[in-house]
Amino acid sequence: MKKVININFQGRVIPIEESAYDMLKQYVESLRKFFANEEGRDEIINDIEGRIAELFGDSLKKGSTCITDEDVDGIIKSMGRPEDFEGDESKVQTQLGEETKQQQQSRTFYEGAGEAPRGRLYRDESDKMLGGVCSGLANYLRVDPTIVRLVFALITFGAGTGILLYILLWIILPSKRLENATSTKRLYRNPDEKVIAGVASGLAAYFDIAVWVPRLIFVLPLVVGIFTSIFRHAFWFDYNPFPGIVFGSFGGTLFITYAILWAVIPEAKSASDKLEMRGEKVDLNTIKNTIQEDLEGFKSRAEKWGGEVKERAQQFGQEFGQTISQKGQQFSSEAAKIGRRGGSRLGNAIAIIFKAFFLFLAGILAFALLVTLLAFLVAGIGVFPLKDFFLEGVTQNFLAWATLLLFLGVPVVAFIIWIVRRIMGVKSGNKFLGFTFAGLWFIGLFCGIMLAVSIARNFDASARDKQEYSIVQPGTGKLIINVPDSKVKVIGGWLGKIDGVMSVSDDSLFLNNVRLRILKSKDSVYHISATKYSSGKDAGSAMENVRGINYGINQEDSTIWLDRGFSLHSGTKFRNQRVEVTVQVPVGKRIMIDRRVANRLSWFHVNDGDWGDDWNDYQNWDSNVEYIMRAGGLERVHKEEDARDNNNNDDDENNAVEQYKKSKEELKKEYDKKQKEAEELKKELDKPVDTTRYHYQKATTYEEAPQPNAVMPAVHAEKKEEKMDITFDNARLVMMQMVL
Amino acid sequence: MDIQNTQSQMRKGVLEFCILSIIRQGEVYPSDIVDRMKTANLHILEGTLYPLLTRLKNAGLLTYRWVESNSGPPRKYFVMTDKGLEFYGELERTWQELADAVHTLTQSAIDPTSEPNPSQP
Repeated sequence: MKKVININFQGRVIPIEESAYDMLKQYVESLRKFFANEEGRDEIINDIEGRIAELFGDSLKKGSTCITDEDVDGIIKSMGRPEDFEGDESKVQTQLGEETKQQQQSRTFYEGAGEAPRGRLYRDESDKMLGGVCSGLANYLRVDPTIVRLVFALITFGAGTGILLYILLWIILPSKRLENATSTKRLYRNPDEKVIAGVASGLAAYFDIAVWVPRLIFVLPLVVGIFTSIFRHAFWFDYNPFPGIVFGSFGGTLFITYAILWAVIPEAKSASDKLEMRGEKVDLNTIKNTIQEDLEGFKSRAEKWGGEVKERAQQFGQEFGQTISQKGQQFSSEAAKIGRRGGSRLGNAIAIIFKAFFLFLAGILAFALLVTLLAFLVAGIGVFPLKDFFLEGVTQNFLAWATLLLFLGVPVVAFIIWIVRRIMGVKSGNKFLGFTFAGLWFIGLFCGIMLAVSIARNFDASARDKQEYSIVQPGTGKLIINVPDSKVKVIGGWLGKIDGVMSVSDDSLFLNNVRLRILKSKDSVYHISATKYSSGKDAGSAMENVRGINYGINQEDSTIWLDRGFSLHSGTKFRNQRVEVTVQVPVGKRIMIDRRVANRLSWFHVNDGDWGDDWNDYQNWDSNVEYIMRAGGLERVHKEEDARDNNNNDDDENNAVEQYKKSKEELKKEYDKKQKEAEELKKELDKPVDTTRYHYQKATTYEEAPQPNAVMPAVHAEKKEEKMDITFDNARLVMMQMVL
Repeated sequence: MDIQNTQSQMRKGVLEFCILSIIRQGEVYPSDIVDRMKTANLHILEGTLYPLLTRLKNAGLLTYRWVESNSGPPRKYFVMTDKGLEFYGELERTWQELADAVHTLTQSAIDPTSEPNPSQP
């Protein structure tokens, strides 16, 4: 079913199918172009149209209701296409432009002269980019000037001496208008088939290889570099299969190479240029064919471009990408127009740079998105071994797979396909492909959300259970907590929120989510207990999960070896199980926590007071340091080695205070002891006069007095205990004197 | 060597002459000319013919008149002018010389020993 329109053709109203009308219009346009320079152009066109109208009339009279595609097609065939028209040589020349005349002339000149002599080295005035040095050189050596320029450019970028050499030659060589002596294949950029600047397709034409090959070569190192860096980060491979030096700088070099090529290689503008690019013979016939191709190709190329743009936008389905690419194209086409109008190479350069930049930007954005998705995909795969412990039931498993494949996998696949298509220059066929991918992706998103909700529900309830361990009280009055070595490998902490996970053996998961707490014991013995926590779907299953935790301790004299972690055998799901070991230390007793504990268990901290659920309360207590439990809490035991330190920092002040406290206590003990002695003595000395008692009393007071004295000097001078003892001895001496 | 090129050149040479000889015989319109040439086995495209006719008309060798038609748009009917007749006469002479020469040469190619025949007036 086609739309039919009425047109006013040569004074008559003709019903014609819209598509047929397009064909007709295009044909008349091509005629108009063909006869553009013809004297009686309008008349000719009119005559031809008249003939067409006549044929239309015949067709309608035969009984058809409107003019169809087939009618128009037949008419065009019988009338002939412009390129088929036979006419004068002069007419053909005017249509093809001045170049052919020149070509003819130069060719006859060339042929007439026979093999042109080598000649002298000049600078070529007629074909110069800067000073015509390269093209003169090329003329002399009979090679393509572009090649010479490339060599020069490479030398310049590589060694820097090229510039000097160039300037030298510029000054030395005389300039002259040289004819283009070579008619061999020349390296051009192909403007008809270009992604950025037609470098790749020009190269392809010169070397006679498929277009996507040079494109792939340009893009490949970059892509490979990015992929290997992704894999490296995701899997912590230090082994880099493609050493960064090779591909990292290689990728960068290729960009520079592309830029150089773009700057140096001229664009194939005219038909003869295009023929030279392909290495075909340049004469009237081939030029005619080239123009023919151009005329035909024009419409299809416009169609293809429009279609490709539309599909690109569709496939991404992102407004952002769309606007950027549209704006980039708009900008670049405007900029390109400005460049061409300006006519200077600089303007052109800026235009192309902008175009490349915008395409690059769009590409980078898309690529960043792709990389993110890829990283997630890889992360998903990395978590895979833990899957069974996490997911419960068929539904969750299915959802997980669906999410992984659809949400993450689909965009990656789509993007890869798009890239391959662009490189190959394949025309994108299916519009539905974009929709299909988008649809699958949304399904994946939905599955992902459902999965998250479902998993979250599994952690709704929580339960806990306390288990008491029986231990033998250490004889030394000091308990050491340690954690044994284990051969189990630790998977890094990148799972973040879920507390430290250890590795998986075949059927059980080993978690080291253990905390250590130290409390004051309510009685005078050490207690060790473990509280197990777990989450679950509901209270019942949470409790079940709690019971599934196996945690134990080993005692070896006065060292308690805590299990490094607990295992979940298969069947038990990961539901954030954790164990809290509580050590209750009686007052006056000590405890030391080995350094390894801090390394191997999640946190250990001291909490005075009740249990509370403040799991994340983190207090900074050191390991490998002895503590003693006092009435007010854990205190650090003074170490001998520290006392020599004369520095005036906090630690030492603390030490001094500790020392002060400690020495005061010791003195107190001594004092108690002495008091008992004194009491006994007192009993013996029943007769003592008041004076004695007084003396005794005095002695006691005197006894007391030295204490602060004894202590004070200790604090001020930070002397050792020995000093105090000496002073104390003095006091004792005096006291004895008093008594006796 | 492209044979199509040579063939095309040969055709182009005689086209004008043939068309003029058709018009000389009487008033004709373009599609008529195409049909007649088809019957004579010398095919020509309308797109080639129209510009040629226009050129000849512009050169003053032809004139035309419009004839209304009830079955379609008005048609151009071409007739030869006096100048055209003169032109035609010259061409005819040239053609004759050419034809004889070619005939002679091709004959001698087949039969190298035979004497070249003097051309007929």
